Amino acid sequence: MKSRRDFIKTGLAFGAALSCPGVTGLFAEEKSAAAPPVAATVTRPVLVAVREGGRAAMLDRALAEFGGIGAFVKPGQTVLIKPNIGWDVPPERGGNTHPELVSRLVTLCLGAGAKSVSIFDNTCDQWQRTYANSGIGPAAEAAGARVVNGKDESLYREVEIPSGVKLRRTKVHSLVLDSDVFLNVPVLKHHSGALMTAAMKNLMGVVWDRRFYHNNDMPQCIADFLTVVRPTLNIIDAYHPMVRNGPRGRSAEDVVLMRTLLASTDIVAVDAAAAKLLGHAPTDVRHVQLAAQLGLGTIDLGAVDIRRLKLA
Amino acid sequence: MWRPRLKPIRVAGALAVGGGLTLALLDFRSAAPAPLGHWLASVQLVPAAVALATGVGLVAAVIAGMILVGTLLVGRVYCSVVCPLGVLQDVIPRLALRRRQPRLPHAQPKNALRYGFLGLCVAGVAAGWGGLTLALLDPYSHFGRIATGLFQPLLVLANNAIVGLGERLGVPLLYRVEAPWLGWGALALPLFMLTLVGMLAVWRGRLFCNTVCPVGTLLGLMARRGAWRLTLDRAACHKCGNCLQACKAQCIDLRAGAIDVSRCVACYNCVDVCAERAIAYRFAWIAPARKLGTAAATPADLGRRTFIADATVLAVATMSMTPPPPAAAKPVPVVDDNRSGAVCPPGAGSVERYLSRCTACHLCVSACPTHVLRPALFEYGVAGMLRPRLDFNRAFCNYDCRRCGEVCPDGAIALLDLPEKHVTRIGRSVFTEDLCVVKKKGTDCSACSEHCPTKAVDPVPYRGNLRLPALKAELCIGCGACEFACPVVPEKAITVNGRRRHERAQKPVEKPLAPAPAAKDFPF
Repeated sequence: MKSRRDFIKTGLAFGAALSCPGVTGLFAEEKSAAAPPVAATVTRPVLVAVREGGRAAMLDRALAEFGGIGAFVKPGQTVLIKPNIGWDVPPERGGNTHPELVSRLVTLCLGAGAKSVSIFDNTCDQWQRTYANSGIGPAAEAAGARVVNGKDESLYREVEIPSGVKLRRTKVHSLVLDSDVFLNVPVLKHHSGALMTAAMKNLMGVVWDRRFYHNNDMPQCIADFLTVVRPTLNIIDAYHPMVRNGPRGRSAEDVVLMRTLLASTDIVAVDAAAAKLLGHAPTDVRHVQLAAQLGLGTIDLGAVDIRRLKLA
Repeated sequence: MWRPRLKPIRVAGALAVGGGLTLALLDFRSAAPAPLGHWLASVQLVPAAVALATGVGLVAAVIAGMILVGTLLVGRVYCSVVCPLGVLQDVIPRLALRRRQPRLPHAQPKNALRYGFLGLCVAGVAAGWGGLTLALLDPYSHFGRIATGLFQPLLVLANNAIVGLGERLGVPLLYRVEAPWLGWGALALPLFMLTLVGMLAVWRGRLFCNTVCPVGTLLGLMARRGAWRLTLDRAACHKCGNCLQACKAQCIDLRAGAIDVSRCVACYNCVDVCAERAIAYRFAWIAPARKLGTAAATPADLGRRTFIADATVLAVATMSMTPPPPAAAKPVPVVDDNRSGAVCPPGAGSVERYLSRCTACHLCVSACPTHVLRPALFEYGVAGMLRPRLDFNRAFCNYDCRRCGEVCPDGAIALLDLPEKHVTRIGRSVFTEDLCVVKKKGTDCSACSEHCPTKAVDPVPYRGNLRLPALKAELCIGCGACEFACPVVPEKAITVNGRRRHERAQKPVEKPLAPAPAAKDFPF
């Protein structure tokens, strides 16, 4: 149990560290979590918000704002794309990232010269059914990605989380630890336990033991995990977010058409914006609030360089 | 005169049916289409008979009729081509490292035993213990359990070894699968049966089929009245003994020049090795058995008498046994009189219906994509042994899946339409607030609600900003997702009680959502 003093110390340490340009890499245990390559000027992170386009078109437009996919993926690099593939439901239910978005991203990464593009999730429903019925398995394979089993414990490795408040160690999928580029591509949804699931919550799908999170202050664990693994880029699919009965949803009537896509290297900022899309104050989403307290990103959207783009 | 060689045809048929069924039972990747296992299991006599009794109808009637009529026409072809346990007994001696088959001299039939087992089987069914009796005696179900429980884990281990090798060589072709180990309790019987059948096959050919197996004995009774019977032409026979060497059933009596067709499994090995072509099918519909010398008359008559005596004794004995006592007879008064110790799959209707029909072939255990279906030990009571139950400690029932119903050959698990399955309540969740993480630790969780496909458990506001799970029992279908997801150990905060008679849940009604505030621009 950490005392409040420890907690503040940790927070201050991180805040201080992050305020120095270029040292975020120090906190990255693995290369995949390395400092974002471009645009993440530490003082004013860039958040791109695109509306009123098709999924692929909004992705292309958002990436253009960062200078194209080449800003993140260099020739010969290995790429991991982590969509939300939690539930055995078809795309129109909004329970998973849309396959069209994943497929487009795979194509872009391979086009940028990526050596390999891998995809997996530690699914909640039976994994083969979920990969297939979400549409992501077939779409990603067709686009040239390697679809990897997220239910194979031998592919997970134990990682220490020295600055974790509740989560001190956990087993992480080796693709997260070994890939050069880690693209976090969640779908935006209502969540009965965490209020909202977007970029940060999606990372629960790269650890083996989720029950530990649930048993030990889940929002704190979600925030703690970010101290060792941070995605290169976060892209949130808010084309038709699920606004009730989340995270699994009960029917296609649980989604509303919003035609929005968010992208940022700052995972706290992008989740803060996502919270607002669902009508929540960012600070109401506890894991977002806790991550901000740990100094892992910017929750104050006033301090973010938001590029608001409309395609129509 | 040219005659078709019968043995290669028999072998080809056996490989097709036995191979296909083995494939379906070993299919740990759910790669084989569900109809493959379903149909190859449906053409087995016991599943077809159960399906007929269950009222599954015309198809089962046709199948059972074809097996019986076929046997009446040409003998026990079923035992060499259709029955997978029979085929297994032909395969095992080939795998046993012996150069030559042992020479099995002609032997007298073990009539007391074989008619005893058949009588036991009939009596068991008549006494209302049909499910358990057939589970313990049906050859197909024995094979199903052997393949699923013993062979499949070996295949999975081999698969995982190949995956490991592939990873080292940098060729990611397959994926690892958790070994489907069902536990020693559930595997004790299959292991015993495999040992018994295997040893008998190596040392005594088809002795199992002609002493223990009630299907073999029943078909033997019909084969004795067969239209075409394998017959020894005494004039042509040189008594070289090649047929004795080849016969697995010890049913050729060279001295009497007779073949006991009630024990002959129609493997045609003798036909194949007889240089004189002295053994062939001959029409014998009208002629009494003794004139053609197919079976020695006296043993056959004796057999019939023994059978009738045994059957009567066993029927009376078994009928005097009482069927499993209903739960209401429990000494402790229970409020929930529909509660069951184990959860049976959707489509089973009720535990009673399910247990009276399921012969525990474990085809569904093998086919279940989440592996939530596992053989019971005593969770259903002694009479429910080996029958699959849903084990929510390991997994939960996938909302949109009905694979168990698709493969089940005898209607024990009826195939429900998906909308029907979505409102079929197999269990009911019970929430113990005091155990819940939210109350105990004061932190958010809601893993149960996350997983619930109907939102029968949905959190409500609780102290501060916390949300505490709350049940809407009318929506619960008992899929077990909540129990599986609950992180509390060792006793879970939310569990599912089985329903003896399956109930109907309410279909959730959705209020229409207000359209998205599309014109609202960006809310930040």
